[in-house]
Amino acid sequence: MSHTFNIIAKQQPAMLERVLRVVRHRGFNLQSLNVADCTESGNVEIELTVSGVRPIETLQKQLDKLYDIAHLELTSAADAVAIRA
Amino acid sequence: MTGAQLVLKVLQQHGIKHVFGYPGGAIMPIYDALYDSEVEHFLCRHEQGAAFSAVGYARSTNSVGVCMATSGPGATNLVTGLGDALLDSIPVVAITGQVFSSLMGTDAFQEMDVLGMSLAVTKHSFVVEDISELASTLHQAFELAQSGRPGPVLVDIPKDIQVGAVDFEPYPIPEKQIPVFEPDLVEQAKALIAAAKKPIFYVGGGVGMADSIEQLNALLDYTQIPAAATLKGLGTIDPSYPHYIGFMGMHGSKATNMAVQECDLLICTGARFDDRVTGKLDTFAPNAKVIHLDIDKAEFGKLRQPDVAIRGDFRELLPALAVKTDIAQWQAKCSALKTEHAWRYDAPGEGIYAPALLNQLSSKLPHDHVVSCDVGQHQMWVAQHMQFTSPRNHLTSGGAGTMGFGLPAAIGAQIARPDTMSVVVSGDGSFMMNVQELGTIKRFRLPIKIVLIDNQRLGMVKQWQELFFEERYSETNLSDNPDFLTLAKAFDIPSKTIHSKFDVEAGIDALINTDGPFLLHVAIDEKENVWPLVAPGKANHEMIEG
Repeated sequence: MSHTFNIIAKQQPAMLERVLRVVRHRGFNLQSLNVADCTESGNVEIELTVSGVRPIETLQKQLDKLYDIAHLELTSAADAVAIRA
Repeated sequence: MTGAQLVLKVLQQHGIKHVFGYPGGAIMPIYDALYDSEVEHFLCRHEQGAAFSAVGYARSTNSVGVCMATSGPGATNLVTGLGDALLDSIPVVAITGQVFSSLMGTDAFQEMDVLGMSLAVTKHSFVVEDISELASTLHQAFELAQSGRPGPVLVDIPKDIQVGAVDFEPYPIPEKQIPVFEPDLVEQAKALIAAAKKPIFYVGGGVGMADSIEQLNALLDYTQIPAAATLKGLGTIDPSYPHYIGFMGMHGSKATNMAVQECDLLICTGARFDDRVTGKLDTFAPNAKVIHLDIDKAEFGKLRQPDVAIRGDFRELLPALAVKTDIAQWQAKCSALKTEHAWRYDAPGEGIYAPALLNQLSSKLPHDHVVSCDVGQHQMWVAQHMQFTSPRNHLTSGGAGTMGFGLPAAIGAQIARPDTMSVVVSGDGSFMMNVQELGTIKRFRLPIKIVLIDNQRLGMVKQWQELFFEERYSETNLSDNPDFLTLAKAFDIPSKTIHSKFDVEAGIDALINTDGPFLLHVAIDEKENVWPLVAPGKANHEMIEG
């Protein structure tokens, strides 16, 4: 089962490593990653798709705790397809 | 002023009077500033010792501890202490010197990627890239370490930032933000409590850390619900509370585990369903509904799905849960279990029975004391057989289980609370892990009391080898230990060895009544194991009793 997060994060050293470390450590695999730097706001937009057998809410809550993450939204795989369509 | 001087100014703004550390090349400007500072630095003999002293300082006062180290190996030596603080949610700020910014990423002397290394062992970490951000970064570090679920925060400061010029600006410490809980959830929780026939409180370290011990005990008094404590929760529940059942989990009392297994409502309060508490998770309190109370919502549903989960400040949340119960039968059942499975100290033979010694020690210590233990069999005996009046008085490496914790953590506690007797209970394995910190005791003439329980084995590993590895005692024989009395003497610490149970009282008296530090070396039989025990993969009601 894959899940997609839309994240707005502060542009800080090691921010992306921190996000990826949590994904791996909490038992999920990275499927795709898109990063767009919004230089003016000092933020970074991240679209992160992961897969795993554990409940996705457990990862969502861990990512939400990261200090550098300003906003986090979970979109299910099915919803993500619908949005693109 | 210089960046280094600013670092110390910010520490003072946050009320930091004492720091623990070890100097080196990349942090020399900060040590130069310390030379004239009112912040008192305690030189430890290894950076791991400095980190654990900061942890002991923080735990014994429920405030933030500060440690510092140089770049490269100085910082790597802090890592174990920070990981320990992360798993036990201890507020620590670590400051590391880094090589000049221009040399970062060039494999310069003592240059390592400390920020990268810190990711897995801190709540958050920073590298300061511009001197204009130095003060704000340090302020954020202090706020983060103490806010929400506390934890360690590291700030890596390159040398050019330390020697650069900067203006000091006052910084108003912001008010703590208190999470607001939903009244609907409180009503749902109260309905569950009122309806329960066999409720039980499962009390963890979060209660003490939220400074809500008084509120918890008031709630217990009002509800009269039986209550059990985790390793980190010991000392939270008033020992005179009639429905306190005791220590729960792998080496908890049988009474506690049997009661928890039978309950129909588990009120998990500042705890996290750690595997050492639950045993086989899907058999833990199998018939219970769960109310989970915590400051960290990531704990809700991580291991056990709650029926009601409430995130909130316990000082406000716990009083809101007061509801009368009618559970006389259940209270009587828990009391009967406690009586049936009470600890016994009537061990046969003339040798020293460590649980009896620790129980006796506990009754002889002054009312206000700190016990800091290491990791292994002795740690579980401390948890089982010593009594604590506050979780601040029981320093133990719970989540990480780090051998070498005890001695430096006791040093931190002794410096934080100089008028309180600080006692280390260690084993012969753990003691040697940070034995260099005897040098810190000598340097600052700290009156720390050390009880070294010596079975010439890595006892807990040996116990598992005996039970689960067909008595194949791989690398757990320590019969070539050094002469601990000679070792103590080298650090000006008087000492005494006892072998017989008839010497225990005199040994404890010497430990307590000798001015200054003392080491009581307690020789015990290597065959003595920790009981009861829940074997790995088993349910808590399947405890082995030895």
